[in-house]
Amino acid sequence: MTALSNQDADKYLYYAMEIGEMMLTSGAEVGRVEDSIRRICTAYGASRVDVFTITSSIVTTMYGETFSPRTQTRRVSGAQNNLLALDQLNQLSRDICARQPNLKELERSLNRIKCGKRYSFPVQVLTNALTSGSFSVFFGGTFMDMIASAIIGILLKFFEAAMKRGSSNGLIVALLCSSFGGLLSNLAVFIGLGQNADMISIGNIMLLIPGVAFTNSLRDMFSGDIITGLVRFIESVLLAMTIALGFTFANFLF
Amino acid sequence: MKECIQLMAALLGSLGFGIIFNIHGKKLLWAAFGGFYVWALYLLFQNLLGANDYIAAFASSALLTLYAEGMARWHKTPVTVFLVSGSIPLIPGASLYRTMNWLMGRHTLLFRRDSVYTLLFAASMAAGITATTLIFRMIWNLASRRLGKKA
Repeated sequence: MTALSNQDADKYLYYAMEIGEMMLTSGAEVGRVEDSIRRICTAYGASRVDVFTITSSIVTTMYGETFSPRTQTRRVSGAQNNLLALDQLNQLSRDICARQPNLKELERSLNRIKCGKRYSFPVQVLTNALTSGSFSVFFGGTFMDMIASAIIGILLKFFEAAMKRGSSNGLIVALLCSSFGGLLSNLAVFIGLGQNADMISIGNIMLLIPGVAFTNSLRDMFSGDIITGLVRFIESVLLAMTIALGFTFANFLF
Repeated sequence: MKECIQLMAALLGSLGFGIIFNIHGKKLLWAAFGGFYVWALYLLFQNLLGANDYIAAFASSALLTLYAEGMARWHKTPVTVFLVSGSIPLIPGASLYRTMNWLMGRHTLLFRRDSVYTLLFAASMAAGITATTLIFRMIWNLASRRLGKKA
């Protein structure tokens, strides 16, 4: 590795932060993000790297013999689980440690990951139906409950997509979606499709409720990332409260 | 019979979440199988060995972590891929919802009971996963260092 000038160090650090940010938004644990940034910077010739990451921010300072200390920060917002991107980013950072690709190559591989494969909208709609139906049966719903839950799952996906275009606030989208879902499940029982409104809606609730985030927040705290854990814990409890409020509101109307 | 239906539902539910989390190809099938596997273990611990909910959650998520670590090494991908989608049937989403539902209806006693249940259940799962990860990595590192010396 050639000795880095100040400008080069800045550029490499920029890409390391870019990879870290993308990992964080596609669902990596904080520890993995910190570890990857540290490894990437070290691979490019830093002698010491200090990384601090929480769910909404990354701060990195890297030190080296040929350049003055470089610091960059990122404000990270919005996270959706995209495990394919996480997989590819992980491979990229291994590749960087193994053979230090140059800036052009880095940019090209990052762009390839950014516009990576996603399931098409129709597949996502069908997935919603599959998941809602499965969980309605899982928690003890009947066959008709499953059908009703699957249909509501499809409608909810369209509703969610429309709402997300209108508002970027996750809580308000969740509130509207859960009220809509609650109304539909009561309506389904009212017209005779399905027997138990609560069994129908539990399938839809599983799609909205942040159960994974809740469990992961405790995992974060157990592995020492207390701040991240607390932030995720409060986020998921608030979201769960909002969803319960939505369904309570819908039940209240019937 | 009821258990068989539940196991099928766990498999399909994990498959659905695998697609939502954007897992593709063979990994998707193995991730969905993780959901089937973890629920089978949970039922086994609960019904045959008579463990309570928390012990069953701890043990089955610990064994899920072993499965996920193995799968991750085989497919060369982060452990999260198999861990998150596999733990879906066990995740206390329904009881988290129920807890908040009691809170909204001001059923204080039910809220207290279910909030303790949800928190302890999630904590048991998290403890099972964290402990297994740490111990597995420790043994793996020691073993690979030992093997590296011999070679």
